[in-house]
Amino acid sequence: MDNRLLCALVCACAVLAIAFAGCTDTSEPGGVETQAYVVGIDAEYPPYSYLDSQGNAVGFDVESMQWIAEDQGFEVTFQPTAWDGIIPALQAGKIDLIYSGMTITEERAEKVDFSEPYWTINQSVAVYEGSNITMDDLYAGTLVIGAQRGTTAAFWVEENLIDTGTMDEGDLNTYDSFPLVITDLVNRRIDAAMYDRPPMEEAIAGKPVEIIGEIDTGENYGVAVRKGDAELLGMINEGLANLQADPYWEELKEKYGLA
Amino acid sequence: MDQIVFFTDILLPALQKGLIITLQLILLAAPFGFVLGVGVAVGRQYGGPVTRVLCKVLVYFVKGCPLLLLLFILYFGLPSIGIVFSAFTASVIGFILCNGAYNSEYIRGAMLSVKDGQMIAAQALGMTRLQAVRTIVLPQAIRRALPGLSNEWIYLIKYSSLAYMITVIELSGSGKLVATKYFTYTETFVAVGVVYLFLVTLTTLAVNAIEKKYAVPGMIRG
Repeated sequence: MDNRLLCALVCACAVLAIAFAGCTDTSEPGGVETQAYVVGIDAEYPPYSYLDSQGNAVGFDVESMQWIAEDQGFEVTFQPTAWDGIIPALQAGKIDLIYSGMTITEERAEKVDFSEPYWTINQSVAVYEGSNITMDDLYAGTLVIGAQRGTTAAFWVEENLIDTGTMDEGDLNTYDSFPLVITDLVNRRIDAAMYDRPPMEEAIAGKPVEIIGEIDTGENYGVAVRKGDAELLGMINEGLANLQADPYWEELKEKYGLA
Repeated sequence: MDQIVFFTDILLPALQKGLIITLQLILLAAPFGFVLGVGVAVGRQYGGPVTRVLCKVLVYFVKGCPLLLLLFILYFGLPSIGIVFSAFTASVIGFILCNGAYNSEYIRGAMLSVKDGQMIAAQALGMTRLQAVRTIVLPQAIRRALPGLSNEWIYLIKYSSLAYMITVIELSGSGKLVATKYFTYTETFVAVGVVYLFLVTLTTLAVNAIEKKYAVPGMIRG
């Protein structure tokens, strides 16, 4: 056989082999395929959802989700997603649900369906250690405040301080993730940082930063699914109820310091 | 919400504020980026051994480092050694470094295209090296570098959006804030895209005009 022809044949076989390498038989003989859902999480939201040193998703919400999935008989994978784009990601079908300490708000509820609330938190305010800043300074609008974009902390400042004219719009710095807010607080560029209480405590551990107070926002966390995804929402609500009735719920709270 | 009210009362004022910041970033960074580019190119081509190495190292590091990382170092990193820039200053410095490093390559390439004979002739007429570079080589080189430089100015317009990552709320940042708050991703980003397209069109037209105005008759075909 002509050498060039042989060469072309070998190449063609190689291409075919590569092209079909990903095609494996996925049907389970005689069984029902288990449904797999992609869970969107904020990967920098300890203790609710974060990545361990190996890059695996862990946290209170992540383990709750794993328990519910097992309880309801479906499979889950976790997809770290930028927080300020997590609702569009859900709408676009990149993820199937958001289980990552998401506060139930009216605006969000117009775009997604929420499960029953499973947790209540308040906003906390942190400042540089020994800087003598009080909560009154915050309410007076004299501080430069840092918050993560798309969080209820940022919305609270906009609604209660900026929209009322108490604080200048330029004094709210918003960041891509919360660790960057704390970095800038330590750099002294901002006077105060605002965030949900439990992740705030995790974020400031070991840093010269102290929490000076809470704002009683009484926010409820819920699991978000696409509008009209009643089947998934039903399973989540049932799973949540089962989980909260199970001793494992207390164990989880204990494990992540939320008891 | 009513679409028209959203556009006129929320989106446009936000984008207008962002556009002003974007223009400030670009108009501050572009001239200094140009000067840095010329300086580095001349330094690499005609400087002493130390200048050459310094210029090479600068270009090497800036080209090898993603701009986002450079901005993070300038903004979040430097305070640990006591240098605290405002977010705006850090962005402008980052853009000048990046713009200057890439500009220098276009200008150096154009300088190489000026034949050695001109330099030798200039020196034979009694010009110093610096005089010859300033009055003979650079005027030709900068003209020839213009198409490349215009590329870099257009990049500058677009990468100015990275300033958002270090809290400067410029055009794309103000768009993203509106989009996140009102969940109007498509409308907002299309509007932001139109503004960028307008800025790029303006730059392209301006560079064309500059090229025509400074064309040397008979030297550059146009």
